[in-house]
Amino acid sequence: MNQHIDPGSLRADDGIERGGMLLHVDNISLSFGGVKAIADISFDIKKGEIRAIIGPNGAGKTSMLNVINGFYHPQEGTITFRGEKRRHMRPHRAASQGIARTFQNIALFKGMSTLDNIMTGRMTLMRSNILAQALWFGPAQKEELAHRETVEKIIDFLEIEHIRKTPVGRLPYGLQKRVELGRALAADPALLLLDEPMAGMNLEEKEDMSRFVLDVNQQFGTTIALIEHDMGVVMDLSDRVVVLDYGRKIGDGSPDEVRNNQDVIDAYLGVSHD
Amino acid sequence: MLYRETGDFKSNYAADQQTFPIKSERYLFWAAMAFAFLVVPFFINDYWEKSVIVPLLVWAMAALGLNILTGYCGQVSLGTGGFMAVGAYACYKLMTGFPDLNIFFVVILSGGVTALVGMLFGLPSLRIKGFYLAVATLAAQFFLVWLFNKVPWFYNYSASGQITAPERTIFGIAVTGATAPPWATYLFCLAMVFIFAWIARNLTRGQLGRSWMAIRDMDIAAEIIGVQPMKAKISAFAVSSFYIGAAGALYFSVWLGAAEPTEAFGIDKSFLVLFMVIIGGLGSILGSFLGAAFLTLMPVLLKNVMVGGLGWPTDLAAHIEIMLVGGLIVFFLIVEPHGLAQLWRLAKEKLRLWPFPY
Repeated sequence: MNQHIDPGSLRADDGIERGGMLLHVDNISLSFGGVKAIADISFDIKKGEIRAIIGPNGAGKTSMLNVINGFYHPQEGTITFRGEKRRHMRPHRAASQGIARTFQNIALFKGMSTLDNIMTGRMTLMRSNILAQALWFGPAQKEELAHRETVEKIIDFLEIEHIRKTPVGRLPYGLQKRVELGRALAADPALLLLDEPMAGMNLEEKEDMSRFVLDVNQQFGTTIALIEHDMGVVMDLSDRVVVLDYGRKIGDGSPDEVRNNQDVIDAYLGVSHD
Repeated sequence: MLYRETGDFKSNYAADQQTFPIKSERYLFWAAMAFAFLVVPFFINDYWEKSVIVPLLVWAMAALGLNILTGYCGQVSLGTGGFMAVGAYACYKLMTGFPDLNIFFVVILSGGVTALVGMLFGLPSLRIKGFYLAVATLAAQFFLVWLFNKVPWFYNYSASGQITAPERTIFGIAVTGATAPPWATYLFCLAMVFIFAWIARNLTRGQLGRSWMAIRDMDIAAEIIGVQPMKAKISAFAVSSFYIGAAGALYFSVWLGAAEPTEAFGIDKSFLVLFMVIIGGLGSILGSFLGAAFLTLMPVLLKNVMVGGLGWPTDLAAHIEIMLVGGLIVFFLIVEPHGLAQLWRLAKEKLRLWPFPY
């Protein structure tokens, strides 16, 4: 693909209808030495849905996200994102194609303010060159202000106005998770990958975060792939669920189908071998 | 009171982005600049120029450069002395090779040459980090100094192996060479540092600066949200080396007038600039100036007090001066590990609430 196409316009109109196929994962296998992290997994994500990926610890959920955004390179299989097939790519290319994510362990830029963190999320959308930036007044400032406007909307949306100028290292855990969501949203993503957005939160924080996830999905129409361990949250939020265990796919379907799937119940509750 | 800011009264984002958002601070800054540009030149003498103010400006320029690399982008470098040498020798070759070229452009081009060399020596940073990168840049330091000693082309085959700056003028007034008046060299250095500090501020507050800081704080996350590590790191090396090279060019042509690589650009210079950056504050433009001021003015002050004020012998004073400066460095690092710039920020925050400390 031409790297000079403005990703903003690229993301706005990709010709995929709501409910059409946004991402296709085909027969992906990934191993680290002798350890098979993911074995021959296929599933898809439709545009506009909330897709949950669940499974016990070590099932390969985070590895799957890392494959999707180009951080791991699978040995076999392909990923088709917006009709474009690929196997090897650098993460920043995935970012400029419109895949954003948050991390299981918060990966914010601790020395920077909330505002700067979220502005960094717009990295792939900003264009001014080094000379314009050196002069500041003129195109660079104009661009900066335009993006600031969008970022302020995200700050409003996430209700974090009061910590705009605070270095994120000083923020409590729940707020850091929220800033991280903001940074991912700032990229104006076509696909948002959330790796355990509610891990380590209390009930109130979980409710807040669930509301944000639903609002993002409904207001911005963003497609979301979500890893989460809280089954209540998963069943309430997601449209479809894929279940992994030991790197294999053992279930795929609506929350109700998955809940009644015998393999899934076995994986979570254990199975007696008699 | 100097600082009175009772709330947030900004009504647009442009006002929020200003370098000096507080009015009194802004006026103070411009008053200081007016004083430096319009008043100081009338009073400056040879002593103040050669031992106090020009050194301060040159080191501030070098510290700005290293701060961009180490403070903003998180890449440790011990090659500062070597890169200053590149700037100085590029300056010398340009001055002797193109006698008609204005010294202003000579300094800029010297920075450009150093930026290219810096990018080359920055390539290992794509693979290695932290102490290992520091050792790789140490190799740059030793290699470059060795190169300028061994290859006679760089010093135009002069018998002494030294390089000497010929006289060059701006608007007909000499700023390099033995006859340059103190006020002219001072103004030249001041203008260069003023322009480039402003550019450093612009670069660090924009998109490029954020990509540097993102790499510094968490490189993997930075890559995943769309920062290209290679672009960010190599641009940091290039910009940083540009500043250090320009500082080296000023150091050689305006301040020293003549230089010899081993002594003028040794490893101690690399450490000196690194100390300035650490003491002043990593990741702060103001910190670069505070650090450079601390390490250039403090020795001068101590020497004047001990030799001039107390009448001690010069050698005794020199030794005590080294001990005192070392002690002060340790003291400041314990009191405020984030440097003088952080001390200044905290003082401002306290002043904002004073006298109601709640």
